Amino acid sequence: MILVIALALAAPLSVRADRDGFDDAVKVIEQFYHVKHQNIPLLARAGMKAVKTAAKIRGGDYKKLAEAGSMRVAFFEDQKFDSHGQIASFKSAMQTTLAADWSALVQTLAPKTEEQTYVYIRDAGKDFHVLIITIEKTEGTVVQATVAPQILAELLKSPDEMGKALTDEATTSDP
Amino acid sequence: MNKLFRKAFELSPALLLMLAGAVTAMGQSAKLQLDQLDVLANRASETVDVKLDEHLMQTTAKFFSGKDSDDAEIRDLIKNVKGIYVKSFSFEKENEYSSAEIESVMSQLRGGGWSKIIGVTSKKDGDNVEVYLLNIGDQISGLAVVSAEPKEFTVVNVIGPIDLEKLSKIEGSFGVPYLNLPPAKPKIGK
Repeated sequence: MILVIALALAAPLSVRADRDGFDDAVKVIEQFYHVKHQNIPLLARAGMKAVKTAAKIRGGDYKKLAEAGSMRVAFFEDQKFDSHGQIASFKSAMQTTLAADWSALVQTLAPKTEEQTYVYIRDAGKDFHVLIITIEKTEGTVVQATVAPQILAELLKSPDEMGKALTDEATTSDP
Repeated sequence: MNKLFRKAFELSPALLLMLAGAVTAMGQSAKLQLDQLDVLANRASETVDVKLDEHLMQTTAKFFSGKDSDDAEIRDLIKNVKGIYVKSFSFEKENEYSSAEIESVMSQLRGGGWSKIIGVTSKKDGDNVEVYLLNIGDQISGLAVVSAEPKEFTVVNVIGPIDLEKLSKIEGSFGVPYLNLPPAKPKIGK
Protein backbone atom coordinates (compact mmCIF):
# COMPACT_ATOMS: atom_id res chain seq x y z
CA MET A 1 0.00 0.00 0.00
CA ILE A 2 2.80 2.39 0.98
CA LEU A 3 4.61 1.51 -2.24
CA VAL A 4 1.51 2.33 -4.30
CA ILE A 5 1.17 5.73 -2.60
CA ALA A 6 4.87 6.42 -3.04
CA LEU A 7 4.68 5.56 -6.74
CA ALA A 8 1.56 7.67 -7.19
CA LEU A 9 3.32 10.65 -5.62
CA ALA A 10 6.53 10.13 -7.52
CA ALA A 11 4.92 9.92 -10.97
CA PRO A 12 3.61 13.48 -11.17
CA LEU A 13 6.96 14.77 -9.89
CA SER A 14 8.89 13.05 -12.64
CA VAL A 15 6.44 14.33 -15.24
CA ARG A 16 6.88 17.84 -13.87
CA ALA A 17 10.66 17.49 -13.96
CA ASP A 18 10.46 16.68 -17.67
CA ARG A 19 8.38 19.75 -18.39
CA ASP A 20 11.21 22.21 -18.27
CA GLY A 21 10.86 24.16 -21.45
CA PHE A 22 13.32 22.07 -23.43
CA ASP A 23 10.78 19.39 -24.32
CA ASP A 24 8.08 22.00 -24.85
CA ALA A 25 10.28 23.92 -27.29
CA VAL A 26 11.11 20.74 -29.21
CA LYS A 27 7.41 19.88 -29.42
CA VAL A 28 6.46 23.35 -30.73
CA ILE A 29 9.06 23.05 -33.51
CA GLU A 30 7.86 19.55 -34.43
CA GLN A 31 4.22 20.56 -34.52
CA PHE A 32 4.68 23.83 -36.41
CA TYR A 33 7.21 22.63 -39.00
CA HIS A 34 6.23 18.94 -39.13
CA VAL A 35 9.80 17.82 -38.45
CA LYS A 36 11.38 15.24 -36.11
CA HIS A 37 14.26 15.77 -33.72
CA GLN A 38 17.18 13.52 -32.80
CA ASN A 39 18.88 13.38 -29.44
CA ILE A 40 22.54 12.92 -30.27
CA PRO A 41 24.56 11.37 -27.46
CA LEU A 42 27.46 13.28 -26.01
CA LEU A 43 30.12 10.97 -27.44
CA ALA A 44 28.71 11.28 -30.93
CA ARG A 45 28.68 15.03 -30.60
CA ALA A 46 32.32 15.34 -29.64
CA GLY A 47 34.23 16.46 -32.70
CA MET A 48 31.16 16.93 -34.88
CA LYS A 49 32.40 20.30 -35.97
CA ALA A 50 35.53 22.26 -35.40
CA VAL A 51 33.99 25.66 -35.62
CA LYS A 52 35.10 27.84 -32.79
CA THR A 53 32.56 30.26 -31.52
CA ALA A 54 32.87 33.75 -32.88
CA ALA A 55 31.05 35.24 -29.94
CA LYS A 56 32.12 38.74 -29.14
CA ILE A 57 33.00 37.91 -25.60
CA ARG A 58 35.39 40.48 -24.29
CA GLY A 59 38.54 39.12 -22.79
CA GLY A 60 39.51 37.12 -25.77
CA ASP A 61 39.08 33.71 -27.13
CA TYR A 62 36.94 30.77 -26.40
CA LYS A 63 35.92 30.20 -22.85
CA LYS A 64 33.63 27.71 -21.20
CA LEU A 65 30.16 29.15 -20.94
CA ALA A 66 27.82 26.50 -19.55
CA GLU A 67 28.15 24.77 -16.20
CA ALA A 68 29.67 21.31 -16.59
CA GLY A 69 27.18 18.60 -17.41
CA SER A 70 24.25 21.00 -17.66
CA MET A 71 23.63 20.90 -21.39
CA ARG A 72 20.74 19.23 -23.17
CA VAL A 73 20.71 19.23 -26.95
CA ALA A 74 18.17 18.20 -29.59
CA PHE A 75 19.04 18.34 -33.29
CA PHE A 76 16.88 18.61 -36.36
CA GLU A 77 19.01 17.65 -39.36
CA ASP A 78 18.28 17.46 -43.09
CA GLN A 79 14.71 18.58 -42.66
CA LYS A 80 12.64 21.28 -44.28
CA PHE A 81 11.86 24.35 -42.24
CA ASP A 82 9.33 26.48 -44.09
CA SER A 83 6.92 28.71 -42.24
CA HIS A 84 5.16 29.71 -45.50
CA GLY A 85 5.40 33.41 -44.67
CA GLN A 86 4.09 32.90 -41.15
CA ILE A 87 7.31 33.14 -39.20
CA ALA A 88 5.67 35.53 -36.72
CA SER A 89 3.13 32.81 -35.90
CA PHE A 90 5.94 30.45 -34.97
CA LYS A 91 7.49 33.11 -32.76
CA SER A 92 4.12 33.65 -31.13
CA ALA A 93 3.55 29.90 -30.61
CA MET A 94 6.95 29.54 -28.94
CA GLN A 95 6.29 32.58 -26.75
CA THR A 96 2.88 31.29 -25.68
CA THR A 97 4.35 27.92 -24.75
CA LEU A 98 7.30 29.21 -22.75
CA ALA A 99 6.00 32.49 -21.33
CA ALA A 100 4.83 31.02 -18.01
CA ASP A 101 8.30 29.95 -16.86
CA TRP A 102 10.78 31.66 -19.17
CA SER A 103 11.61 35.25 -20.11
CA ALA A 104 12.30 35.95 -23.76
CA LEU A 105 15.66 37.68 -24.00
CA VAL A 106 16.56 37.80 -27.69
CA GLN A 107 14.64 36.83 -30.77
CA THR A 108 16.06 37.26 -34.27
CA LEU A 109 14.16 36.23 -37.39
CA ALA A 110 14.97 36.28 -41.09
CA PRO A 111 11.95 34.87 -42.99
CA LYS A 112 13.66 34.59 -46.36
CA THR A 113 16.30 32.21 -45.08
CA GLU A 114 14.06 30.92 -42.28
CA GLU A 115 16.93 31.70 -39.88
CA GLN A 116 15.74 32.23 -36.35
CA THR A 117 17.32 32.43 -32.92
CA TYR A 118 15.40 32.53 -29.68
CA VAL A 119 17.07 32.93 -26.31
CA TYR A 120 14.99 32.42 -23.18
CA ILE A 121 16.14 32.75 -19.58
CA ARG A 122 14.90 31.74 -16.15
CA ASP A 123 16.28 31.73 -12.61
CA ALA A 124 17.97 28.57 -11.37
CA GLY A 125 18.98 29.42 -7.83
CA LYS A 126 22.32 31.20 -7.97
CA ASP A 127 22.61 30.47 -11.69
CA PHE A 128 20.42 30.90 -14.75
CA HIS A 129 18.91 28.39 -17.12
CA VAL A 130 19.26 29.46 -20.74
CA LEU A 131 17.18 27.91 -23.51
CA ILE A 132 18.31 28.54 -27.08
CA ILE A 133 16.40 27.62 -30.19
CA THR A 134 18.12 28.07 -33.54
CA ILE A 135 16.51 27.27 -36.86
CA GLU A 136 17.78 27.44 -40.42
CA LYS A 137 16.34 26.21 -43.72
CA THR A 138 17.33 22.59 -43.26
CA GLU A 139 18.39 22.25 -39.65
CA GLY A 140 17.56 23.30 -36.15
CA THR A 141 18.91 22.99 -32.63
CA VAL A 142 17.45 23.29 -29.16
CA VAL A 143 19.96 23.76 -26.35
CA GLN A 144 19.33 24.14 -22.66
CA ALA A 145 22.21 25.01 -20.34
CA THR A 146 22.91 26.33 -16.87
CA VAL A 147 25.00 29.48 -16.89
CA ALA A 148 26.63 31.34 -14.02
CA PRO A 149 25.63 35.01 -13.61
CA GLN A 150 29.19 36.19 -14.33
CA ILE A 151 29.08 34.46 -17.72
CA LEU A 152 25.58 35.74 -18.35
CA ALA A 153 26.79 39.30 -17.70
CA GLU A 154 29.48 38.83 -20.36
CA LEU A 155 27.01 37.31 -22.80
CA LEU A 156 24.52 40.11 -22.27
CA LYS A 157 26.95 42.57 -23.79
CA SER A 158 26.17 40.92 -27.11
CA PRO A 159 22.82 39.21 -26.58
CA ASP A 160 22.36 38.57 -30.29
CA GLU A 161 25.61 36.54 -30.26
CA MET A 162 24.66 34.68 -27.12
CA GLY A 163 22.54 32.01 -28.78
CA LYS A 164 25.28 31.20 -31.27
CA ALA A 165 27.96 31.08 -28.59
CA LEU A 166 26.09 28.59 -26.42
CA THR A 167 24.85 26.50 -29.34
CA ASP A 168 28.38 26.26 -30.72
CA GLU A 169 29.63 25.15 -27.34
CA ALA A 170 26.91 22.52 -27.06
CA THR A 171 27.68 21.11 -30.48
CA THR A 172 31.46 21.30 -30.56
CA SER A 173 32.87 20.69 -27.12
CA ASP A 174 32.77 18.30 -24.25
CA PRO A 175 30.17 19.84 -21.95
CA MET B 1 -10.81 58.93 17.47
CA ASN B 2 -11.07 55.17 17.69
CA LYS B 3 -13.84 55.19 15.09
CA LEU B 4 -11.72 57.30 12.79
CA PHE B 5 -8.78 54.98 13.26
CA ARG B 6 -10.97 51.93 12.53
CA LYS B 7 -12.39 53.62 9.42
CA ALA B 8 -8.88 54.43 8.22
CA PHE B 9 -7.83 50.86 8.90
CA GLU B 10 -10.79 49.55 6.88
CA LEU B 11 -9.89 51.84 4.00
CA SER B 12 -6.18 51.10 4.07
CA PRO B 13 -6.29 48.09 1.70
CA ALA B 14 -8.15 50.20 -0.84
CA LEU B 15 -5.66 53.04 -0.40
CA LEU B 16 -2.78 50.62 -0.75
CA LEU B 17 -4.31 49.24 -3.91
CA MET B 18 -4.75 52.75 -5.30
CA LEU B 19 -1.16 53.59 -4.41
CA ALA B 20 0.10 50.38 -5.98
CA GLY B 21 -1.94 51.17 -9.08
CA ALA B 22 -0.45 54.65 -9.31
CA VAL B 23 3.10 53.32 -8.92
CA THR B 24 2.43 50.65 -11.54
CA ALA B 25 0.97 53.23 -13.88
CA MET B 26 4.12 55.33 -13.51
CA GLY B 27 6.27 52.32 -14.26
CA GLN B 28 4.16 51.28 -17.22
CA SER B 29 4.21 54.69 -18.80
CA ALA B 30 7.97 54.44 -19.28
CA LYS B 31 7.61 51.02 -20.90
CA LEU B 32 6.18 51.31 -24.37
CA GLN B 33 3.76 48.77 -25.78
CA LEU B 34 5.61 47.34 -28.76
CA ASP B 35 4.10 43.89 -29.27
CA GLN B 36 1.78 45.24 -31.97
CA LEU B 37 4.86 45.56 -34.19
CA ASP B 38 5.50 41.82 -34.17
CA VAL B 39 3.44 41.31 -37.34
CA LEU B 40 6.20 43.16 -39.22
CA ALA B 41 8.39 40.09 -38.74
CA ASN B 42 6.55 38.37 -41.61
CA ARG B 43 7.49 41.19 -44.00
CA ALA B 44 10.93 42.07 -42.64
CA SER B 45 14.08 40.52 -44.03
CA GLU B 46 15.48 40.57 -40.52
CA THR B 47 13.96 41.13 -37.10
CA VAL B 48 15.77 41.65 -33.81
CA ASP B 49 13.79 41.67 -30.58
CA VAL B 50 15.66 42.14 -27.30
CA LYS B 51 14.07 42.24 -23.85
CA LEU B 52 16.26 42.81 -20.81
CA ASP B 53 14.11 43.19 -17.73
CA GLU B 54 14.95 44.73 -14.36
CA HIS B 55 15.66 41.45 -12.60
CA LEU B 56 18.16 40.42 -15.25
CA MET B 57 19.80 43.84 -15.36
CA GLN B 58 20.22 44.05 -11.59
CA THR B 59 21.38 40.46 -11.19
CA THR B 60 24.08 40.80 -13.80
CA ALA B 61 25.07 44.47 -13.22
CA LYS B 62 27.16 43.55 -10.20
CA PHE B 63 29.27 41.20 -12.30
CA PHE B 64 30.60 43.99 -14.46
CA SER B 65 34.06 44.32 -13.07
CA GLY B 66 35.24 47.59 -11.59
CA LYS B 67 38.77 46.80 -12.79
CA ASP B 68 37.91 47.28 -16.44
CA SER B 69 37.10 50.97 -16.99
CA ASP B 70 34.59 50.19 -19.76
CA ASP B 71 32.88 47.64 -17.56
CA ALA B 72 32.80 50.06 -14.64
CA GLU B 73 31.16 52.69 -16.84
CA ILE B 74 28.61 50.20 -18.11
CA ARG B 75 27.86 49.10 -14.55
CA ASP B 76 27.34 52.69 -13.42
CA LEU B 77 25.15 53.33 -16.41
CA ILE B 78 22.90 50.32 -15.99
CA LYS B 79 22.81 49.90 -12.22
CA ASN B 80 19.51 51.76 -11.92
CA VAL B 81 18.08 50.78 -15.27
CA LYS B 82 14.88 48.77 -15.03
CA GLY B 83 14.85 47.40 -18.53
CA ILE B 84 16.08 47.70 -22.10
CA TYR B 85 13.75 46.75 -24.93
CA VAL B 86 14.69 46.83 -28.60
CA LYS B 87 12.72 45.97 -31.70
CA SER B 88 14.38 46.39 -35.04
CA PHE B 89 13.05 45.45 -38.47
CA SER B 90 15.07 45.54 -41.70
CA PHE B 91 13.36 45.29 -45.07
CA GLU B 92 14.54 44.44 -48.56
CA LYS B 93 12.39 47.10 -50.18
CA GLU B 94 11.19 50.53 -49.19
CA ASN B 95 7.68 51.20 -47.83
CA GLU B 96 7.28 47.75 -46.32
CA TYR B 97 5.96 49.21 -43.09
CA SER B 98 3.15 51.71 -42.76
CA SER B 99 2.65 55.02 -41.05
CA ALA B 100 0.05 53.29 -38.87
CA GLU B 101 2.78 51.11 -37.43
CA ILE B 102 4.95 54.13 -36.68
CA GLU B 103 1.94 55.90 -35.24
CA SER B 104 1.22 52.98 -32.88
CA VAL B 105 4.49 53.88 -31.15
CA MET B 106 4.48 57.64 -31.58
CA SER B 107 0.98 58.00 -30.11
CA GLN B 108 2.35 56.64 -26.82
CA LEU B 109 5.03 59.33 -26.79
CA ARG B 110 2.68 62.27 -27.13
CA GLY B 111 1.97 63.71 -23.72
CA GLY B 112 2.14 61.57 -20.63
CA GLY B 113 5.40 63.21 -19.59
CA TRP B 114 7.38 62.33 -22.70
CA SER B 115 9.24 65.13 -24.40
CA LYS B 116 11.19 65.09 -27.64
CA ILE B 117 14.78 66.11 -27.16
CA ILE B 118 16.27 65.15 -30.51
CA GLY B 119 14.68 65.03 -33.92
CA VAL B 120 16.70 64.42 -37.07
CA THR B 121 15.07 64.26 -40.48
CA SER B 122 16.99 63.68 -43.66
CA LYS B 123 14.99 64.58 -46.77
CA LYS B 124 17.73 63.11 -48.93
CA ASP B 125 17.85 59.68 -47.30
CA GLY B 126 14.35 59.65 -45.85
CA ASP B 127 15.75 58.88 -42.42
CA ASN B 128 13.89 60.08 -39.38
CA VAL B 129 15.26 59.65 -35.87
CA GLU B 130 13.56 60.99 -32.77
CA VAL B 131 14.63 60.70 -29.14
CA TYR B 132 12.20 61.16 -26.27
CA LEU B 133 12.73 61.38 -22.53
CA LEU B 134 10.17 60.72 -19.84
CA ASN B 135 10.63 62.96 -16.82
CA ILE B 136 8.86 62.21 -13.57
CA GLY B 137 9.69 65.02 -11.19
CA ASP B 138 13.31 65.97 -11.72
CA GLN B 139 14.33 62.50 -12.75
CA ILE B 140 14.57 60.85 -16.13
CA SER B 141 12.41 57.73 -15.92
CA GLY B 142 12.57 56.50 -19.45
CA LEU B 143 14.05 56.96 -22.87
CA ALA B 144 12.70 56.11 -26.28
CA VAL B 145 14.46 56.22 -29.62
CA VAL B 146 12.37 55.79 -32.76
CA SER B 147 14.32 55.43 -35.97
CA ALA B 148 12.29 55.20 -39.16
CA GLU B 149 14.37 54.72 -42.29
CA PRO B 150 13.09 53.66 -45.71
CA LYS B 151 14.27 50.08 -45.20
CA GLU B 152 14.55 49.91 -41.43
CA PHE B 153 12.37 50.59 -38.43
CA THR B 154 13.88 50.50 -34.94
CA VAL B 155 12.50 51.31 -31.50
CA VAL B 156 14.71 51.38 -28.40
CA ASN B 157 13.05 51.79 -25.01
CA VAL B 158 15.11 52.16 -21.83
CA ILE B 159 13.21 52.12 -18.53
CA GLY B 160 14.65 53.96 -15.55
CA PRO B 161 17.14 56.76 -15.10
CA ILE B 162 19.72 56.96 -17.85
CA ASP B 163 22.39 59.50 -18.58
CA LEU B 164 21.87 60.51 -22.18
CA GLU B 165 25.47 61.68 -22.49
CA LYS B 166 26.61 58.16 -21.65
CA LEU B 167 24.04 56.34 -23.76
CA SER B 168 26.64 55.81 -26.47
CA LYS B 169 28.50 53.53 -24.02
CA ILE B 170 25.84 50.85 -24.40
CA GLU B 171 25.38 51.25 -28.16
CA GLY B 172 26.37 47.92 -29.62
CA SER B 173 25.81 46.22 -26.25
CA PHE B 174 22.66 44.82 -24.64
CA GLY B 175 21.08 44.67 -28.08
CA VAL B 176 21.08 48.45 -28.43
CA PRO B 177 22.02 49.27 -32.02
CA TYR B 178 24.46 52.02 -32.98
CA LEU B 179 22.25 55.07 -33.06
CA ASN B 180 24.78 57.78 -34.00
CA LEU B 181 22.71 60.34 -32.18
CA PRO B 182 23.70 64.00 -32.28
CA PRO B 183 24.21 65.60 -28.86
CA ALA B 184 21.01 66.85 -27.23
CA LYS B 185 20.62 70.62 -27.26
CA PRO B 186 20.94 72.10 -23.77
CA LYS B 187 17.75 73.59 -22.40
CA ILE B 188 17.93 77.37 -22.38
CA GLY B 189 16.85 79.35 -19.35
CA LYS B 190 16.97 76.57 -16.84
